Amino acid sequence: MNQPVKPGFAPEEVYRTYLRGLLAHDHQTCRASFLQWLEADAGLRSTYEDLVRRSLYEVGDLWERGRISVATEHLATAISESLLNLTYPRLFAQPRNGKSAVVTCVPNEYHQIGGKMVADLFELNGWRGYFLGANCPVGDVIKLVAAKRPEVVALSAATSFNLAKVVSAATEIRAAFPDVAILVGGQAFRWGGRERVERLPGVRCLTSLGELEAWITEHGKHV
Amino acid sequence: MFDRPDIAKALQTYVLDTAPVMALLLDAEDRVVDANDHARRVLGAGAVGRPLAEQIVDFHHTLDVPAIIRQGDTVHRLTLNTAAGRPETFGFRFFSVSVGTLALASLDFQEQVELREQVLALNRELNNLTRQLYQANAELRELNQLKNQFLGMAAHDLRKPIGLIMTYGGFVLDEAGAQLSGEHREYLQTCLRAARGMKQLIDDFLDLAVIESGQLRLNLASATAREIIAGAEPVARLVAAKKGITLLVEEVDDTRRLRVDASKLQQVLLNLVGNAVEHSVSGQRVWLTSRWEGQNLVFAVRDEGPGITPEDQSRLFTAFGRTGQRKTAGERSTGLGLAIARLVVEAHGGRIWVESRPGHGATFLFSLPTKEEEKP
Repeated sequence: MNQPVKPGFAPEEVYRTYLRGLLAHDHQTCRASFLQWLEADAGLRSTYEDLVRRSLYEVGDLWERGRISVATEHLATAISESLLNLTYPRLFAQPRNGKSAVVTCVPNEYHQIGGKMVADLFELNGWRGYFLGANCPVGDVIKLVAAKRPEVVALSAATSFNLAKVVSAATEIRAAFPDVAILVGGQAFRWGGRERVERLPGVRCLTSLGELEAWITEHGKHV
Repeated sequence: MFDRPDIAKALQTYVLDTAPVMALLLDAEDRVVDANDHARRVLGAGAVGRPLAEQIVDFHHTLDVPAIIRQGDTVHRLTLNTAAGRPETFGFRFFSVSVGTLALASLDFQEQVELREQVLALNRELNNLTRQLYQANAELRELNQLKNQFLGMAAHDLRKPIGLIMTYGGFVLDEAGAQLSGEHREYLQTCLRAARGMKQLIDDFLDLAVIESGQLRLNLASATAREIIAGAEPVARLVAAKKGITLLVEEVDDTRRLRVDASKLQQVLLNLVGNAVEHSVSGQRVWLTSRWEGQNLVFAVRDEGPGITPEDQSRLFTAFGRTGQRKTAGERSTGLGLAIARLVVEAHGGRIWVESRPGHGATFLFSLPTKEEEKP
């Protein structure tokens, strides 16, 4: 969080309530915490990074350690993703700067919320963020890039066994569009892999929404 | 060791009491004669005593239940109505025993997993569609803004030449009209009427463009209903009188005040009266009234015209939402007056609507809420 927040806003407490809500499949509690965070003027990026992303990483850890079931992990993701819809009236009211990004999950990647947050962050910063969704064939990405001619293509992967798919997708897109910037990221890179993809020409790996926002600022935020 | 009778008995008791497995004992007619606790919980106590075939959901009567029961070496997916009131699919296996048939069944977990995956995929798709909808709306808003800018610029640039046509055309008619033939005077008057119509259209375009682009600024000041009406009444009377229509303004409760842009509301009243006059014939009446309904001030303009069908009512307040109604004297209007009225009323936080039946006239109403500080 890098902007002043409303007095009395206790982020750690709200975060814990939100996480408990996710683990208890309690959509209403999560919604209340999410709105509390949104209305605290902590910034949309903070809501995504410090509440949604952090909690889902923790949920993922709990699942990996066998503390929660895969059903709980899936429901936590579904609840979080549905709450992102609450940001859209604000998100899509931002003035546009004429630039655009195509964001997608690599083939075989069914966790799409990270990619969607990336597309949303582009929107928040005045870009048009086209989001293609989970498990998207590279051919479809190439078609959309040809149609929209975006400044950047962003590839998201949440699970490390999909890292190879990131490399092959980035290679195919680079071959089809030598000039478009390619960004990759997601939880899949949590334990490494950055150097492998950055060997490809014009490919940057960003491991947080903060890094992404810095990249967006560097490449033209608003008009 | 597990074949020791006491251990076997304990295992059997535990499994039968706690495992999510239904155990049903069927007699020679395939009637359920006993069931374990889990089966009674899932299917309800009424399951015992009824043939199993009766409890299976088989919409198309394609299942040969007796044959299935006697196929002991296969797991059968069968759907049964449960005590919770919804059908569930179970994996059944049948064993021939000394007293009949033992049916063991558990929820079909494969189906549960498949369903969960499908629900999650649908949820993802729904969320993506929601996002696309917001994105498309944002793009439409941008286009609408561009349209308004264009409209504003075009209308502004057209206004001046039309003003010149009207001014100098008026001079010619006033100063040289007597020298023109009757036919030529009529031509000139037709030109001037067309120019006036065009100017009205341009003014409405500009109003609409300003309001829709969010640039409408309300000059709020305290006013009573009477004061608001008084500002519109003289022009409204002229408009009505010109067509031989009587305008009746009814006295209103004038003790309460509210903060409004009176001049904008007078424009709304004139639009509504003008509309009522256009749809009335000479000799008919138009009423302009106001009343308080709780915290809302309600204005109403009623006419004795032909009324409006429900289909036409739904598009009355949209720009160019022309209806099948004909103006009684072939008047021309821009089709924007009611849309502008709606936008002005909504900018005040109010609402506008119409009450009408074909053949029984129409009443256009709008209500304005009182802000907290204005309450008496």
